[in-house]
Amino acid sequence: MKRSYRGVLLLSFVLFLNIVCTQQTVNAYYYEKYETVLLFCVLNLILFPLAFWIYKRERDVK
Amino acid sequence: MDQGQKGNIPFDEDNYTHNIHKDNERSLDRRSFMKLMVGAAGVFAVSTLPWGAIAAKELAGFSNKKYTAAKITDVSDLKVGEAMEFAYPGKHDSALLIRLGEDEFKAYQNACTHLKCPVFWSKEQGEMVCPCHHGVFDPKTGAPTAGPPRRPLPEIILEREQGVILATGVKRYET
Repeated sequence: MKRSYRGVLLLSFVLFLNIVCTQQTVNAYYYEKYETVLLFCVLNLILFPLAFWIYKRERDVK
Repeated sequence: MDQGQKGNIPFDEDNYTHNIHKDNERSLDRRSFMKLMVGAAGVFAVSTLPWGAIAAKELAGFSNKKYTAAKITDVSDLKVGEAMEFAYPGKHDSALLIRLGEDEFKAYQNACTHLKCPVFWSKEQGEMVCPCHHGVFDPKTGAPTAGPPRRPLPEIILEREQGVILATGVKRYET
């Protein structure tokens, strides 16, 4: 069986983006830039379905 | 491996998981790892929800907070170059009032913008100093000049009325 680490790499990248978005959310909150907080919060929320989608696609690949 | 050792106590193994016999129980395969990553993404998503909720609340109409004026001290009680602590706007929001000159007063909320240690006025250095990680703030603007803090201290708006210093609000960061 040939291994593919594409899923792992993609999910690592998603997790990296998660860390960045969380950090930016908290920073923007303390700078009282509430629009930016909402933007990064929504981005962070979108990343979860994206991660799930990547996982499902890699799982179903035969 | 010495067959005679089998069944002896202690086991001739260098780990404490010798009683695990299930297949792959000790291995984290690619799929479980990916599941773990998806779970972590979910945790990150949930963790930003409170921040987003508070931000939405602020945007929904509380952006112009109403502050009540509060007396800090009498002008005569504070010498030039001295500082005093007070609490504004809430009784747990500690703040620092500094008399820089005869008619020059500055006040900041003195929770360090790095990790919230109380910031002190150092008369000798003429700076506000955070003792925890040696963060230094400029008393004229509240901007950080050294150490880990990157964000200026929130300034408190002051008014002077008949020899009394009043706090009337907290300045928002300029956006």
